[in-house]
Amino acid sequence: MSQVLHPIEQKILKTLNDKKNLTPEELATITKLSLDQIRRGIEWLKFKNLASVVESEKNLITLGKRGTEAFEKGFPERQLINHLRSLDGYSCEMNDVKNFLKNEFGPAIANAKKNGWVEIHENRIMLKGYHDVTSEEKIIKTISKNPTGISLDEFEDKNAVESLKKRPEFIVVSSKKSALVSLTENGIEAAKSVPDNIDFESVSETSTGVEPGAKVVRAIDVEATAPIIFAAKSHPLRDVIDEVREIFVSLGFSEIIGNNVQSSFWNFDALFTPQDHPAREMQDTFYLKDVKANNIAKPDQIKKVSDAHKKGWNYQWQNEEARKLVLRTHTTCVTIRALADQKHDEARLFSIGRVFRNEKLSYKHLAEFHQVEGVVVGKNVTLRDLMGLQTEFYHKMGIKKIKFWPTFFPYTEPSLQSMIYNEKLGKWVELFGMGIFRPEVTKPLGIKNPVLAWGGGIERIAMLRYGLEDVRELYENKFGWLRSVPKCQ
Amino acid sequence: MPVVTLYFNRIKKILGRSIPKGKIIDTLPFIGLDIEDETTDHVNVEYSPNRPDYSTDYGIITGLQGLLGIKLGMPVLKIKNGKYSIKADPSVCRVRPYVTAIEARNGKLDDETIRQIITMQEDLHNGLGRRRKKASIGIHDIEKIKFPLYYKTVTREHSFIPLESDVSMTVKEILEKTETGKKYKHILDGHAKVPIVVDSDEKTISLPPVANAKLTEMNTKTRNLLVEVTATDKNAAEGVLAVIANTLQIAGFQLYSVKITGAGNSTPVLKSRDLVLEPDLVNKTLGIEISNQLIVKSLKKSRLDAKLRGKKIVCSIPRYRTDIFGVMDLVEEVALGYGIQNLTPTMPESVSAGERNHTTKTLETVRSLMIGLGYLEVMNFELTSKEILYDKTGRESSKIISVADSKSQEHIILRDMLLPGMMEVLSRNIHESYPQKIFEIGTVFEKDSLIKEGIHLACLSAHKDVNFTEVKSVLQSLLKTGFNLSCNTVPQKEPMYVDGRTGSIVINDKKIGSLGEIDTKVADNFKLRTPVAGFEITLTDLLF
Repeated sequence: MSQVLHPIEQKILKTLNDKKNLTPEELATITKLSLDQIRRGIEWLKFKNLASVVESEKNLITLGKRGTEAFEKGFPERQLINHLRSLDGYSCEMNDVKNFLKNEFGPAIANAKKNGWVEIHENRIMLKGYHDVTSEEKIIKTISKNPTGISLDEFEDKNAVESLKKRPEFIVVSSKKSALVSLTENGIEAAKSVPDNIDFESVSETSTGVEPGAKVVRAIDVEATAPIIFAAKSHPLRDVIDEVREIFVSLGFSEIIGNNVQSSFWNFDALFTPQDHPAREMQDTFYLKDVKANNIAKPDQIKKVSDAHKKGWNYQWQNEEARKLVLRTHTTCVTIRALADQKHDEARLFSIGRVFRNEKLSYKHLAEFHQVEGVVVGKNVTLRDLMGLQTEFYHKMGIKKIKFWPTFFPYTEPSLQSMIYNEKLGKWVELFGMGIFRPEVTKPLGIKNPVLAWGGGIERIAMLRYGLEDVRELYENKFGWLRSVPKCQ
Repeated sequence: MPVVTLYFNRIKKILGRSIPKGKIIDTLPFIGLDIEDETTDHVNVEYSPNRPDYSTDYGIITGLQGLLGIKLGMPVLKIKNGKYSIKADPSVCRVRPYVTAIEARNGKLDDETIRQIITMQEDLHNGLGRRRKKASIGIHDIEKIKFPLYYKTVTREHSFIPLESDVSMTVKEILEKTETGKKYKHILDGHAKVPIVVDSDEKTISLPPVANAKLTEMNTKTRNLLVEVTATDKNAAEGVLAVIANTLQIAGFQLYSVKITGAGNSTPVLKSRDLVLEPDLVNKTLGIEISNQLIVKSLKKSRLDAKLRGKKIVCSIPRYRTDIFGVMDLVEEVALGYGIQNLTPTMPESVSAGERNHTTKTLETVRSLMIGLGYLEVMNFELTSKEILYDKTGRESSKIISVADSKSQEHIILRDMLLPGMMEVLSRNIHESYPQKIFEIGTVFEKDSLIKEGIHLACLSAHKDVNFTEVKSVLQSLLKTGFNLSCNTVPQKEPMYVDGRTGSIVINDKKIGSLGEIDTKVADNFKLRTPVAGFEITLTDLLF
């Protein structure tokens, strides 16, 4: 047999080979191992099909109140004859005995008579015969040595047990469930190869053919399960963000970052969203209380943007409105500002970060989520290029089936949305949006070449990736989930 | 986004021919509509508010006709000279200066048509009308009106029976008591006198922008309508009127002009406008090379008119297309008419190598160090509640930064610290096995004269033997391995931490954070029985 057995297993095998059926408790007593070690050993042996365990029910006997008294002071009938022995003539009046034995008088007389120890003549009790230790007395003594109880089967004189059962409060019989462990055929076979001296030291000098004199590490059970430890790791949503970032970088995009708190000017006005547009209302956007932006932009930028609004939307543009601070509703405010300030002729930039919408949280909406947005500036870039970049991005994400539909965004023209086919859900899912920045956006900010822009929410991708139906789960930080999500997907 | 219900039997009736259901469903997305859901007899679609002409099935079918090649070119409004008029009084100038109107005769209204018209009216109110502030609409049964109409102002004691009621109410009562009154009265704030439209018998037909009169309510027996639009912007008023006029014409009504005079108002013309489009811009923007003829045809499929003039294309845009600002909008119309599905993706050559931002790189390094130290990353919202941020942690909240009118009680305050949210994370995981070690890297906000944003790192360790020394070890290793820095920890008093077991973290005489054992009362507030210790530092101070 090639199996390596732990010393505990060896001990149990050997013991069970000698005595067939034992409870774990009995095994512990015999092997002098702890009950925990025995239980563990039994589990290992069961796993290896060397031992089997049968749940059984045993009747256990313990001493009752009178049984304990009988053990300490002697049975009433024994007390009776001891009393008689101490008297001259080995006899006395019934009433004397009654006073001496009190409540035990009746049973004492009855049993002494039954045992043939006394005779009664005209109210006098006389000792007679031999007074050997009875079976009942032996049984009580045996039970008293096993305070946790002893099996009914241990006693051969069943009549004596029965008579003890009849005597009130002498013995208590209770049934106890217990496991009986025995060896399987494989176990019996394995027990044969267990050495007589079982080695509990961690290092031994026996076993394999290594250099003479070298200490050899004792083999352990390499098949046994080990406890689970949880690896520290990054958040699953972070992994998706990092993956998206890596794809953008691989497509030649450079990352820019910006603040979460933005002036309305960069979040809305610079993107040609009129100041009375419903998207700017408080029910869609988070405005900060009691604080406004000071230097929102360069004077020239403010003037040209406000002119574009007056011309395009025909209303009185308010500087105060543009100073309101918002939690950015998209990352476009970061990219547009970079383009406006740096005036690239050719560039690929992207930004990943949190964006905010005044939404009631639900299984599909968060008030705060991550968005990625990429822009391509170039003299000759086209809408088809934008579709190509998008397609390449999805391919790198492992998404193959993509289609494009027209849509509307306030600051791009033309605008498209991409639909991807999700194999798990078996349907088309709307993902990133894209478009070319409107001339009404780029011209006032002095951006000469066309700007392709595309992006969308990252949580949506994470939901598809991790098979989540409720987007809130991403932010619940339940360790059960965080610890169990496989890192490599 | 607003939703329109399209019944297939109505589509068939309006189109005058049968188109397979599947073909309709497949085409809808390519005119820019999102399919919400479909059943055997109808499909619900979402349209973008920039296309109010899609607010009824009539408008959507007009779009479908183009893309399916059934009818091309611009629908032309045929407006005959009418006999009715509205006179505006100069007093309206201060409150709602503009009025415009059109008459629609000999139509048939069934329940579904009325429903479509009312939905359109509401969508126009919310979109182009900017929640009725900029423009609002009254649609009336013209037979109940004695012309000419007058657009003027009255006091708030003026009374009539509004649509929502059966009894006469004063303007004041309408604004205070009716649902729409309460919703829109703010538009009239600051004006003692309010605008109304009355007829020659002094009967009120509407109180813009709040209510119309019961008197002129339309029903399935109504054949002739008056559409009246009042506004603070003349252009918006005529745009709204054009959308309705176009829809009613498709629905089978004949249009008649209504003469508008007084106080700078004039009879609406609702005519198309022309834009000159360079074919080169189309091809260059879309990345295709198509003939001028194909550009013209594509524009016509998008229900615009177009013709070649020399090397350029002159495009006529109907008045109801308020979404078209300039030539780039026409490029999109060409793309739609040409068919987005016919544009194949191309890959532009990259001009540069991409790169992560410097801050991102550093944060990724810090993250990997914390993971190496055995800490699990968590991510919390930046918007949280006063309860978690201040009440449960016993921190002082005078510099609280809150947002206005949040729809969620748990997302009102911008966090100035990471640890409270992380305590909440531990609180949610008390049934999970210990030790629990977590960290977070995230943006926090500080109110100065402006709002300052910083990036913090915080970590918490929770298990029965945790103590100050353990987290100080983590802090020291992080600073040493990450930045070759060492720090001093100086005794301090901080409400979150146990007195005598907390220190401020100081590097080069600058405090960058705090560490310590979390106060049991604070832990208790988060229902934590296990001891917790941790630290929080400002990475921004450390790195940049």
